[in-house]
Amino acid sequence: MKVIEIKNVEKIYNDSEVKVHAVNGVTLSFDEGEFVAIVGPSGSGKTTLLNMLGGLDHPTSGEIIIGGIHINALKGSKLIDFRLHNIGFVFQSYNLIPVLTAGENTEFVMQMQGVPRELRNKRVKELLSAVGLGDRLDSRPARLSGGQQQRVAVARALASKPKFILADEPTANLDSKSTENLLDIMEKLNEEEKITFIFSTHDARVMKKARRVITLEDGKILSDEIKA
Amino acid sequence: MPSGLKILNYTIMILSIGWKNVWRNKTRSLVVIVAVMLGIFSGIMATGIMQGWIEQRTYDSIHNEVAHIQIHNPDYLINEEIQYTIPDNDKVNKVLDTLQGVVAYSPRVKMFAMAKTSWAVSGFILKGIDPDREKLVSEVYKNMIEGNFFEDQHRTPSIVLGSKAADNLKLLNYQVTLEKLQTMDKDIYPQEIMMKIESIGSKRFRKEKDFRNALEEVFSKEEYKEFGDGLVKYFSFYRMNASVELTFQDRNGEIVHPVFKVRGIYKTNNSGFDGMYAFVDRESLNQFTGLKNNEVHEIAVIATDNEKAIPLTEKLEKYLPGQDVMSWRRLSPEIAMYTDFSNVIGYIYIVIILFALAFGIINTMLMSVLERLKELGMLMAIGMNKKRVFTLIMTESVFLTLTGAIIGMIFCGVILAILGKTGINFGMWAEGFEAIGYAAIVYPIVTWQNYIVITLLVIITGIVSSIWPARKALKLNPVDALRTE
Repeated sequence: MKVIEIKNVEKIYNDSEVKVHAVNGVTLSFDEGEFVAIVGPSGSGKTTLLNMLGGLDHPTSGEIIIGGIHINALKGSKLIDFRLHNIGFVFQSYNLIPVLTAGENTEFVMQMQGVPRELRNKRVKELLSAVGLGDRLDSRPARLSGGQQQRVAVARALASKPKFILADEPTANLDSKSTENLLDIMEKLNEEEKITFIFSTHDARVMKKARRVITLEDGKILSDEIKA
Repeated sequence: MPSGLKILNYTIMILSIGWKNVWRNKTRSLVVIVAVMLGIFSGIMATGIMQGWIEQRTYDSIHNEVAHIQIHNPDYLINEEIQYTIPDNDKVNKVLDTLQGVVAYSPRVKMFAMAKTSWAVSGFILKGIDPDREKLVSEVYKNMIEGNFFEDQHRTPSIVLGSKAADNLKLLNYQVTLEKLQTMDKDIYPQEIMMKIESIGSKRFRKEKDFRNALEEVFSKEEYKEFGDGLVKYFSFYRMNASVELTFQDRNGEIVHPVFKVRGIYKTNNSGFDGMYAFVDRESLNQFTGLKNNEVHEIAVIATDNEKAIPLTEKLEKYLPGQDVMSWRRLSPEIAMYTDFSNVIGYIYIVIILFALAFGIINTMLMSVLERLKELGMLMAIGMNKKRVFTLIMTESVFLTLTGAIIGMIFCGVILAILGKTGINFGMWAEGFEAIGYAAIVYPIVTWQNYIVITLLVIITGIVSSIWPARKALKLNPVDALRTE
């Protein structure tokens, strides 16, 4: 079942003298439960594409359809609301709320969604246990390592049961052991929760884990490889 | 989940995060909190002192000077002549006896009189009163500093003067008496000083200047500077039983010169009043005025309280159409104005303080927002809409302001509880205050309504201070914010 459809999407930045085609006529689709890496050199357009997928940026032309909804047409609070209920984010710099504990960070999105307390508490415990931090519910980010913080970020992204998760360079600030750990967890959760994971990455380890690798260059798809 | 519960959950979340965010930078937040605390404390103290003064002045004005209501012959107010007594006085008395809300009333004969003693001449308004009834409407009798308020019977009629009137008539004398020497505080006055005071002897001085000269003769310059003023005050006294010859016009237009004896001196917080009014027994006075017992110029009425006096005045106006009935608000319009505006003036002062504090709060909140651009971008990215981001920043600003205000109010409450008993002594300026009717010791008053209004003003300040910083956050593009280092 197609979760995301991208139809001939372009993103053009109008500089004073030069037009920059950050994304240049990309057409893609993603199914439920996919584990995809979007790779390419700097300036290839992968972050721009991810931003548009996440509703953080609008394409200059083309369509992006998520769960049957044309997100180009959404604006303002409707777009923010759509993100809240449908998209999970994992950022390069973890971006946890420093004044909240691991448990509170994880349940934060569910609170905004209005999920009842009992359900929230149950899901938080499940997810933090799944990422190996069941005993760190009450720890603030300052007391967690980089890898642990990123795992909390993954738990937060999953907590709201989004249609898919966008992870922009999630391993960039992690050591190799933490990276391996994180990727194993993400893969496991992808299989268990059947939530699509889309990575933007330079990291070969992520590319190795991914079951599908899309290579971008100069805003165009160079290759789209599904591993056997 | 019902939407009410959703809103409650979300509100709790915002409040929790807002409160925690306030303490991210403890030093910065504490600086603002202390500033707000001090600002609110000073604002409330100033308001309390002002309200205390106004309360005292209002009370004194009503209970010493004008009462709640006064009734006059309308012609008396135009020409204060002896013949313009209250018409149908018996009817007036009947109405006052039966009307609900009248606590007490006192009939008065009033006239201007010249007064002469062996040493000076002065003028004042003479009030002929029934002492027992007068005590129910006026508290002058509680302010006696010498003698008493018509407690004893005498052959020669008595007069009770204000201290200022007594000063004008040179009734204040100075004398080093044995009795006073024996009761002097030996800790303040060393033996050597006591001996020098004794050497002045028991001569009575009628003028302060002469007594001071006598002190200067026995003391050195330094000693006189240290002890002079205290000794002048300590050895001063009013001559009781001094004769005062009054001159006024009687009912028939004849000038009469009865002699009264000074049997009491009163001193209120209003030296102007003390200089203007003297009291005599009405029955004694009428032997000279020719007025009958039911002929009076003024009836002073006391109601249950200041507010109830107003509708009571309106009722009396209805029942006594031929009389002039005035409430204290008309009798002392400046007091009425102070009472009406004391709250407003206090709040204006606090608004000014909060306005100044707002700049500090805005600065702190701006810094807090600019430091968190990446985090705010993240929040917007994962689904926090602009309304919620604004609410979060506004909550932090309100918490910051309210914390300082609450601590300031608690601190103030404790201080006011103490000062409410001890008062604040502005003794250095006592003479000046008394000239305009204000006591030198003020007991600050702050009501619970004051605290509620101030809390609301503080919350409004917090909200208004958050607008500019919040706008900075709302203008953020999450993509750009997330790229921030």
